[in-house]
Amino acid sequence: MAGTTVPRGHSRLVPATSTMKNMVAALRSTRGLSQGELAEAMGVSRQTINSIERGRYDPSLPLALALARFFATSVEALFDDTGHP
Amino acid sequence: MTPRRHPRRSKWFLPAFVLALGLVIFAAEGLGGHVSRGLQSLAIMAALALALLLGGRSDTVRGLRGDGRDERFAMIDLRATAVAGTAAIIAILGAWIVELARGHDGEPYRSLATLAGAAYLLAVAYLRWRG
Repeated sequence: MAGTTVPRGHSRLVPATSTMKNMVAALRSTRGLSQGELAEAMGVSRQTINSIERGRYDPSLPLALALARFFATSVEALFDDTGHP
Repeated sequence: MTPRRHPRRSKWFLPAFVLALGLVIFAAEGLGGHVSRGLQSLAIMAALALALLLGGRSDTVRGLRGDGRDERFAMIDLRATAVAGTAAIIAILGAWIVELARGHDGEPYRSLATLAGAAYLLAVAYLRWRG
């Protein structure tokens, strides 16, 4: 947002039109899970997991929390909103 | 917190709805004296219903039917509905203006445009109130 300052240590909000980088694919691979198996565990379609991993879709807050909990990590560690203008 | 499960419909719902709509169109065409045109419409709607019913291997078809819907497809559905609604409103406004330019009173496009505008404003007011 033009003209606004972001407190130190806080990142800017990610524009609604962009997607965030994430560690979902890497963590899923380390667990030896397929996209379909992760999708089944999360209650979504395989395409949704694929879209999240490819950075084409940002999950809802409940799904992001569920993914973080599933991988025993935090949402901040799983999703990276830095690097956006 | 677990992801909110989106309500999933039976895979039979949308094909049955499409077929029922085809039957209603056929009945209306029949009442209007156009039985053969009604049969054509019914055949098209029946083919669409069959394609929806048998297309279960496709995630897109399952999402459309509702039995494979999740949060991402719900968002796709919402956006697609907005695009379709915008296209319909633009077509109605265009037809209304053309009818006015031809010296007509603009009906039924004037009523349809009024309905669309009122529905939009009411939806905005309700959604804003709901938060």
